[in-house]
Amino acid sequence: MSLADFKLLRPRTLDEAISLLAPQAGEGARATRVIAGGTDLIPSMRQKLFEPEYVLDIRQIAELKGIRETEQGTEIGALTTLSCIERSSVLKQHYPVLVEAAKTVASPVIRNMATLGGNICLDTRCLWYNQSLTWRKSCGFCIKKDGDLCHVAAGGKKCWAAFSGDTPAALLCLEAEIELAGPQGTRRLPLNDFYTGEGDSYRRLQLNELLTRIILPKATADLSGTYRKLRIRGSIDYPLAGVAITLKCLNGHIESGRIALTAVNPAPVLVKKASEVLQGKRLDEELAELVGDLAAKTAKPLTTSALTPEYRREMIRVFTKRALLALAN
Amino acid sequence: MVELRSTGKPRAAVRTWTSFMTDFSIIGKPIAMVDAAEKTTGAGKYTDDLSLPGMLIGKILHSPHPHARIKRIDTSRAQKLNDVIAVVVGADAPNPYGILPVGHDEHALAIDKVRYIGDNLACVVAVSEATAEAALELVEVEYEILPAYFDPEESMKAESNLIHDNKPHNLEKDYHHTFGDPDKGFAQSDYVTESRYLANEVTHAAMEPHSTLASFDIDSQTGQAGRLTVWSSTQVPYYLQHKLSLVLDMPMSQIRVIKPLVGGGFGGKSEVIPLEIIAAVAARKAKAPVKITYTREEVFWAHRGRPRTIIDLKTGVKNDGRITAVKARVVQDGGAYCSYGVVTILYSGALLGALYDIPNIHYDGYRVLTNKPACGAMRGHGTVNVRFAFESQLDEIAGRLQIDPAEIRRRNLLKPPCITVNGLRVQSYGLPECIDKIVERSGWKSRKGKMPKSRGLGIACSHYVSGAANSIIRSDMPHSTVNIKIDRDGGVVVYTGASEIGQGSDTMTAQVAAETLGCALSRIKIVAADTDLTPIDIGSYSSRVTFMAGNATMRAAQEVKKQIASAAAKKMNCAPEDLVFRDDSVFKQSTDHVGAGLRPAQEEQNSASVSGRVEGQILRGSLQQKRKDEGPKDSMSFEEAVVATIDFHGALTGTGSYAPPLEARGGKHKGGGVGPSPAYSYSAQVAEVSVDEDTGEVTVHKVWAAHDCGRALNPVSVEGQIIGSVWMGMGQALTEEMVWKDGLLMNPGLLEYRSPSSVESPEIEPIIVESIDPEGPFGAKECSEGSLAATIPAIANAIYDAVGIRLRESPFTPERVLAALRAKKNAKTLDMTEGVDPTAPVRLREHGGALWFKGKGPERHELDPARRTEGG
Repeated sequence: MSLADFKLLRPRTLDEAISLLAPQAGEGARATRVIAGGTDLIPSMRQKLFEPEYVLDIRQIAELKGIRETEQGTEIGALTTLSCIERSSVLKQHYPVLVEAAKTVASPVIRNMATLGGNICLDTRCLWYNQSLTWRKSCGFCIKKDGDLCHVAAGGKKCWAAFSGDTPAALLCLEAEIELAGPQGTRRLPLNDFYTGEGDSYRRLQLNELLTRIILPKATADLSGTYRKLRIRGSIDYPLAGVAITLKCLNGHIESGRIALTAVNPAPVLVKKASEVLQGKRLDEELAELVGDLAAKTAKPLTTSALTPEYRREMIRVFTKRALLALAN
Repeated sequence: MVELRSTGKPRAAVRTWTSFMTDFSIIGKPIAMVDAAEKTTGAGKYTDDLSLPGMLIGKILHSPHPHARIKRIDTSRAQKLNDVIAVVVGADAPNPYGILPVGHDEHALAIDKVRYIGDNLACVVAVSEATAEAALELVEVEYEILPAYFDPEESMKAESNLIHDNKPHNLEKDYHHTFGDPDKGFAQSDYVTESRYLANEVTHAAMEPHSTLASFDIDSQTGQAGRLTVWSSTQVPYYLQHKLSLVLDMPMSQIRVIKPLVGGGFGGKSEVIPLEIIAAVAARKAKAPVKITYTREEVFWAHRGRPRTIIDLKTGVKNDGRITAVKARVVQDGGAYCSYGVVTILYSGALLGALYDIPNIHYDGYRVLTNKPACGAMRGHGTVNVRFAFESQLDEIAGRLQIDPAEIRRRNLLKPPCITVNGLRVQSYGLPECIDKIVERSGWKSRKGKMPKSRGLGIACSHYVSGAANSIIRSDMPHSTVNIKIDRDGGVVVYTGASEIGQGSDTMTAQVAAETLGCALSRIKIVAADTDLTPIDIGSYSSRVTFMAGNATMRAAQEVKKQIASAAAKKMNCAPEDLVFRDDSVFKQSTDHVGAGLRPAQEEQNSASVSGRVEGQILRGSLQQKRKDEGPKDSMSFEEAVVATIDFHGALTGTGSYAPPLEARGGKHKGGGVGPSPAYSYSAQVAEVSVDEDTGEVTVHKVWAAHDCGRALNPVSVEGQIIGSVWMGMGQALTEEMVWKDGLLMNPGLLEYRSPSSVESPEIEPIIVESIDPEGPFGAKECSEGSLAATIPAIANAIYDAVGIRLRESPFTPERVLAALRAKKNAKTLDMTEGVDPTAPVRLREHGGALWFKGKGPERHELDPARRTEGG
């Protein structure tokens, strides 16, 4: 599968990037794509999922790299690689759940290239979508690309491609905010508001905008937390289900707790009721079971990946329960 | 089982890694593969690394429909695209071919019908890959969609719309064999059990995707296309030469096939793959060299892997565990073409024998056509899935009769030398030692039954042929021939048709030649797998190379050695029989050969002794003269002996061939030609696993794998093959599965087709057992395939030992394991396996998915010609 021709834009500053992006954004499959690590984009371009006229390479933009501690918390540049996050002593100390999630992404070689911004912007995935042009033609295409029906939900007009990034689940638990830069300046929004819940138009990012920074608030520093990932192989695989949990405990009681899921819905999602249920309680088997059930109810996996949806939902329940009990000890 | 004369029965000896001190100087030593450096440094050239001046790139158009008649194919728009040189279609090469003489059902490109999603329709030849791909979108094909068959048992009921018109009920071939008296055997048994087993489809996933470069010379006399040279990633260059000659209507003498480095075969390159023919047809039409390299997706469509198999198995035993009868019904979902299918279905039945002593066997085998990519040969060809069923059932029987699972296997051993009830001759038989070794090393007796919760041990055995005793193309031709040439430079050039595919063929050849000639390994140069240069060898498949090409190499070397001995004997004033060839020297047997025998092994292998002070070739004559003047002596260097021989005989060449002996060629029944082998390898394994009872995840902690390879010519290489087999078997047992939805492969890539990564690789303890086969070269037999089949049932049996569930459908993915665990506990039932109970499977399942257009869906891609027409 060849990589089609495209024009490569290589800005050195953020302003230059925005000025290049805005007038040449394009639309649809031809829309300008931003490349950082390229681990998601390049295979998709070979499969003709994207056929951009322009590719904007942001790797030269120094201001998008690195981890900084500020008054409000910790800022991570969108270009920071996952292996850099894995090794960061600041993050290890204050936001261990993010480090744990980053460590599970793909394989060490991929993590050396892949960025946190890329993991947040990761395209949603589906067995009926992440295939070559020839393959997709043989099933009449799907609603996410070139077709008008979904193969995984009967009579579906909604796209159910699953969001398959690992780190966003951890970031949701950390109440992370993201900064987007566009021609009108920058805007900040909670990561939770970035995702739409639709499999096709899965994120709220204008074609002329760039994700620049991830901000981890002080308030969620030093929470205990963990990330559990369902995969068939211990390396390489995307998550088939993922659960991130952060807890703040005081005298054996939970002061606050957050649970987020990934790879089982078109967006990474917080298990909303879980926080209410956990608050003020002492963590025991029964509570863990109850919250596990809540998480499983939030998960809506379909046949977008390997393993059956029923099994993946069940694993959300098991992983949630296990992770909670592990944190309790 | 007919016991043969039992005198001279070879006794098996067990050796550990460090005890390979034999009387040999090169055989039995752990030496590096002769091609290791070029492979590890990246300097080695695989087919896709090759390029010729003016070379073009070919891209193949594949069918989007599982079964359709081609009403019209129009390539004119594609042809008009800039930089497109030629477009080839079925009509350009209409002769049918197939690897088996009974299965010539394939065409280079489809003529009238496409039979699976991915079938080959047309090939565009262009100056670049991107141009060729763009042109593929411009080829217009009009189809008449036909009903398609995906489930083999459904396919067998077909009355109309057959996949091949000459195959009623879509049945490629069925065999019904009865050996002994199975009815009587079951009647005599104390306990009978019967179950259905399903093994899902797996593929080779070799690291190197298939690649072929084809180029025609211009004939100097006529100015027309003359001889064809093909470089291809193949295990069988001579079969490729033969099939090219059939399809292209060219004499074989006008076709040269060269096999560059091959990045793994595992059976996936053991037959002629469509691109190999297409590249040649395209090169002829384009009048330029054409290279085609498959994408990974195309590798999955070319496939030829292990078919989905349904095994209905019934075993009868006496109370003491002795097997009285076995009945097996095997249905293989073979895909759309014959490929090796007839051989696969025969192996599945034939290799029920030759492992244990089974007095009565009934076998019904059905090879069924379906609208999916063709299945073919894959490591452990035909035996693996049936072995999974058999060894699982034997474990179950042992449990029922309260016999130790290792012991029940010991009670059913053959008594070699013998001929089994289905006509297989067994001579060397290291299985008892294999079982002893793994029982000892794994601590079986003290640990089995006393493992911690959710942790278990399982045992299983397997075996495999050391090459088929009968070639697939019936003839009396030797299966392997090897030529050796030694010239005045003292270099030994071995010309062998055997194909190095990473398994160590070239290294084995070099070792056998060097040991036989007593010369340094560094003298040996291997010229291999080039049909112009090397004598015919039928290829690297069915683990035949060490046994057959090894024997041929030994014979060729012996012939040369005889000539050298006769010349050297004259020099030394002794009889040729009194000479010993060793450590790069020739000396009288009586001589106390100080030095040579004591030289460290490393030096022996790597350095050829240089003849005295003489270095240049011109000087060699005078050296010879000087030696002559010196009178008789007690020893000569190998090089001196060679020079002396050339002086007496002129050119020094030898040839050796191997054909399996008549006694090893099997019974006379229909299909009796498949299964017989001159020797069988044996394997026994213990797997230790744990099961997570909440998630169904299985972790393999350790596998003890004993393998009887006759003699380990290169122990480090044997260990590598055992470890690789176990690892590949573990992939089939736990994670690998081609997932189908109505003929569409859902996971045509290495991301979604999950071969284990290094993270899942358990500790594997390879144990070499040497039974010294009477006919193998230095006693060697196969070591690359036999171990695979034991791994799957060993893991299945260990899972049973750990958590008490008997899984009868592979792979044992977490959802299947959990479903079985839940069912056993009567816990909240979740339908995690789409209605299929993995402990009692009934049907092969299709991947879920709510909608399917059967090819009639909206064709909306902007490049889609249909859409363009609609839009005006």
